[in-house]
Amino acid sequence: MNLRAIGCNVESATVELREKLAFDATKLARALAELPARYGTEAVVLGTCNRVEIYLARPEEDAPVHSPLIAEFLAEVHGVPAADILSHLYELHDAEAVRHLFRVTSGLDSVVIGETQIAGQVKDAYDVAQKADATGPLLNTLFPAATRVSRRVRTETKIAEGHASVSSAAVDFLRPIFDTFTDKTVLVIGAGEMGRLTLNHIRELNPARVLVANRSPDRAAALAAEYGGQLVPWEQLDDALVQADIVLSTTGAPEPIVSRRRFDDKVRPRRGYRTLVVFDMAVPRDFDPRLHDGERVSVFNVDDLNRVADQAAAERRKHLPAADAIVTGEVTRFVQDWNRRKDGPVIGQLTAEVDRLRESMVSPLLAKMKGKLTPAELEHIEGAFRLFQSKLLHGPIAALQEASRTGHSGTLREAVMKLFGLKG
Amino acid sequence: MTVFLLQGIYHACFGLSYLVALLLELGRFARPAAAWRATGLAFGIAGLAAHTFYILVHHPDPAKPSGSLLLLAWVLALFYLYGTLHYAKQAWAVFVLPVVILLVSLSYALQRSENTTEYGIPTWASGERFWGAIHGTLILLATVGVSVGFMMSVMYLIQARRLRNKVNPGQVVPLLSLEKLETMNRRAVTLAFPLLTVGLLVGTLLLRHDHSLSDNWLSPKILTTAGLWVVFLVLVYLRYGTSVPPRRLALLSIAAFVLMLIALGTAHPFATGGTQ
Repeated sequence: MNLRAIGCNVESATVELREKLAFDATKLARALAELPARYGTEAVVLGTCNRVEIYLARPEEDAPVHSPLIAEFLAEVHGVPAADILSHLYELHDAEAVRHLFRVTSGLDSVVIGETQIAGQVKDAYDVAQKADATGPLLNTLFPAATRVSRRVRTETKIAEGHASVSSAAVDFLRPIFDTFTDKTVLVIGAGEMGRLTLNHIRELNPARVLVANRSPDRAAALAAEYGGQLVPWEQLDDALVQADIVLSTTGAPEPIVSRRRFDDKVRPRRGYRTLVVFDMAVPRDFDPRLHDGERVSVFNVDDLNRVADQAAAERRKHLPAADAIVTGEVTRFVQDWNRRKDGPVIGQLTAEVDRLRESMVSPLLAKMKGKLTPAELEHIEGAFRLFQSKLLHGPIAALQEASRTGHSGTLREAVMKLFGLKG
Repeated sequence: MTVFLLQGIYHACFGLSYLVALLLELGRFARPAAAWRATGLAFGIAGLAAHTFYILVHHPDPAKPSGSLLLLAWVLALFYLYGTLHYAKQAWAVFVLPVVILLVSLSYALQRSENTTEYGIPTWASGERFWGAIHGTLILLATVGVSVGFMMSVMYLIQARRLRNKVNPGQVVPLLSLEKLETMNRRAVTLAFPLLTVGLLVGTLLLRHDHSLSDNWLSPKILTTAGLWVVFLVLVYLRYGTSVPPRRLALLSIAAFVLMLIALGTAHPFATGGTQ
């Protein structure tokens, strides 16, 4: 195996550098065209907001690609000095590169441990590379294996259970309240980033309607257009609150925008006993916390969501050893299978060659002896030659298989091929 | 005496099976493992099988407190099985099985104080008293509705309390959503009320028809059942006539269940040899 994973992530590089190294569609197409052409490698480029990584595979007889070369390549593509990049790059070899990819795909290397989005991003990165004809035998085996491992990790451990990010924790509070979401109305107040992120998670529940209200109509219109929502004038906020079942509030208002009095006077009497869930993610808060009764009006603030996310993350961390154990087993299996795949044809060729030699010696001998010896004696002689062949080949084949298991069969394979005159 | 022992053994058979199923279900939430659920379900099914066998062999009389409680327990055991399979992730059995076990235990306790000389096919099932059978069936179905309403109400109150205290949903035993519990409670009450009303009307006509029973109008059974009907009437009015918080309706549903247990536990005017 001649595999390298070279890149940087949140731990090795600042967000500024990662932003500079981000691949847009044009740069990605260029990289996937030039890496194989220049360095004779298979290549997959994985770019997410937390990492930029390039997976490179070359034939075993070729020298591996190292990080200085990739730093220069990245410098050329992104227009950043190579010296600024190199010190932030990590380089992982062979089995360690396999392990890294398996961990990344399973969400074990993510900021939010166990997050599932990364598996899709890895798959997308591979699909793009494959379409660009930048992959070959090793990466075509490695990336599907990584997807399979991530699926195994998620089903056999609880690494992906619960919602470990603040924005997704809101869903945890919605499930014990509502049974169905397809008849619910979501009201977004303000256009804060946290509101957008939370809306992304809530939209997965397929709510019937999204209403957007913001003091600045332009920003509200943009958000409404982005999410297929309906714009509500700021003056009609009370009406929107009457219609809403779920509220995401992220304004930057210095005072609460929905006081208890306002809600009790203008909203509550018109809502009947319909349940309202408010995620007040603004600091200072937008809703009077005294509205919370846990039955008809539930108000959850950032601290509540943080607490749920922290507990889910802590719970997930407990399952890291089990997940890593699965990854370790899968890395060993992958390396062995890959080496066996490389050694299999050599062993087959070796056996066929010695078979041919034996046949060329035994057949004339048996022809000469025909009539002089009984059929049983002839069969005995042929059997002796077969036994000799087995004993002769046992040593080299066993040594090759053993070397495959440890991942160091390359030199031995070459020696066997030379000794027995096999062609590569 | 032998009959008593045999009855006791059978009650113990399915009662204990349900109890083991409940303990395994609790264990599942304390230390999650697939084996807990499978074993618990196996015990629950075994209990239900024994329960069914007992009913088929002994024909418990629904006009007697022990019989009616046992039949109600059987229907709720079916409800437990349905819910456990349908809502696999929720703590369904934790709420249904205690009610089933309570009813089986009450049935056993009451049976010991009842006249046990009359075993065999009861009159309501023999075809001699068709309207008695109709009355019994309607009341039994209504009590199922009351029991379901009770269990949904208990779950509702727990779920609402958790939300009021902002308990992390991922850290506690999962329950159905408030919306679902409210819907199920509403359906149970909506179905139980007409069944109870018609069942009681049939029973009233039967009492009027049979002059030998005309002295029983003030029996505890009739009074508590009438009380239950009034509570139900209030429940239906509050649910559909006004906007009362579901929490209060849940509390009233629990009160209706307690009243129902008292009504079922007292002797029936139609039954011979009951305790009064």
